[in-house]
Amino acid sequence: MRYGTGPEVLREVTFSLAPGSFHFLTGRSGAGKSSLLKLMYLAHRPSRGLITLFDEDIATVPHNRLPMLRRRIGVVFQEFRLLNHLSAFDNVALPLRVAGVRDSTVRKHVKELLQWTGLADHMNARPPTLSGGQQQRVAIARAIIAKPNLLLADEPTGNVDEAMGVRLLYLFEELNRMGTTIVIATHSEALISRFHHPVLHLEGGVLTTTMPPADGGAASGPFRSTGEHRP
Amino acid sequence: MIRRHGDLLLSREPSARLVPWIIALMTYVACLMLAGSLLLAELLDRWTDDLTGTVTVQVMPVEGESVEVMTDRVDKLVTLLQRTHGVAAARALPSAEIAALLEPWLGGGARLDELPLPRLIDVTFDETSPPSMAALRTMLSNADPATVLDDHGVWQDQLAGLIGALGAVASFIVALVGVATVGIVIFATRSGMAAHQEVIEVLHLIGARDVFIARQFQNLALSQGLRGGLIGIVLGAATLWALSRAAAHLDTSMLPPVSLATWHWAVLAGLPLATAVIANWTAKHTVVRSLRKLV
Repeated sequence: MRYGTGPEVLREVTFSLAPGSFHFLTGRSGAGKSSLLKLMYLAHRPSRGLITLFDEDIATVPHNRLPMLRRRIGVVFQEFRLLNHLSAFDNVALPLRVAGVRDSTVRKHVKELLQWTGLADHMNARPPTLSGGQQQRVAIARAIIAKPNLLLADEPTGNVDEAMGVRLLYLFEELNRMGTTIVIATHSEALISRFHHPVLHLEGGVLTTTMPPADGGAASGPFRSTGEHRP
Repeated sequence: MIRRHGDLLLSREPSARLVPWIIALMTYVACLMLAGSLLLAELLDRWTDDLTGTVTVQVMPVEGESVEVMTDRVDKLVTLLQRTHGVAAARALPSAEIAALLEPWLGGGARLDELPLPRLIDVTFDETSPPSMAALRTMLSNADPATVLDDHGVWQDQLAGLIGALGAVASFIVALVGVATVGIVIFATRSGMAAHQEVIEVLHLIGARDVFIARQFQNLALSQGLRGGLIGIVLGAATLWALSRAAAHLDTSMLPPVSLATWHWAVLAGLPLATAVIANWTAKHTVVRSLRKLV
């Protein structure tokens, strides 16, 4: 993976995520965490190598099928990327509306989720009027509203205090128990040591995996990537 | 909070406010040009209808001839023409009618009876078997050498040529206005896409299809095109109405009375729809083409 004609940001990255697994993604700033996540949520294509997502080689997936794959992925962006001219409700409703879900269903699900994430009183508020923590919960709600198979979060605890960070991690674990595969990019050693999940570590564009003893590598995961050249 | 599905997910953009007014201006120009070309076509039709199947025979005055002798010559020719095969009617124009025809050039107060004017015979053909023009000309010059047969052909051809050219120019301008409208919408959509890049990227990343994103811009373009078109057509109709009022006061035999028929108004009323459709289609293609470049 490289940007333009720059140096390769990611070089030797070979891993596979089992369905229903939970991974942390660590590495120093600039190690390529965000680039790896962008490859995973289909914002970039790899300059070389093979990525298989939900058993499809993304290099050969036709352009018009990519939206269907993206709908199975929920993303919590580092800078949230909420739409500031829409209310919290409309922001969370976006993935459902994009997928063409009926309005009555959209209203029901979004209200439920906003209540569950403690934002019931802020449904009509626009993101700029919300606190950092509230915006983060809106961003998370938007990422999980469509019940994705894969949830990617880029520094989701970066803007909140530690107690809030822990609460969010419990939320992600709950989603994981319901079957969602989760990858969380984070700097926080405290969170990693508190929650026992395998860690993907990026350094100088090279990925290493530390597996806790309980976790065996599965063959057919929702996500697989190899750094090798495609034939 | 409750939005209709597919409703605008884009925020209002200040620069977009100008677009309907530019489209209104375009529609206004197109409306006047279209009305002009329709009127010209109508005018040409009317003239051609009036003039085909008729000829005019001019009976030239002869030096020193008295009015009675001239009238006698004219009467003889009328009788001859009425008997000719293929002629439905022949009628000498009374002096009052000739005076009316000359009024635009000589003014109402001229003493026409003192001028050596040619007399005119209006000949209407039987449309089913019109006589040969050459035979008619020979027969007339044999009967009275001082006659000129005018079949309006030259004048009619020139007039048809002129009106056709004017009509072509008007149609060309209407086409140019259409092209310019496409250009405006492309420009507005591109700047709108630049202004809403974050919205587009987020929608794209959460799995929106290109057509869904395009629809946001199409809705905007459609309403801008429709609003602009309506403003333009209202102004255009007002102008046409004012012009027709002014023309009604104009009292002249030069122009046959021509006005816009119902179907002409229907064509003009189609203009706002056309601008809306053009805007919608253009916006869609502009957005979809640029989205195809994204991963």
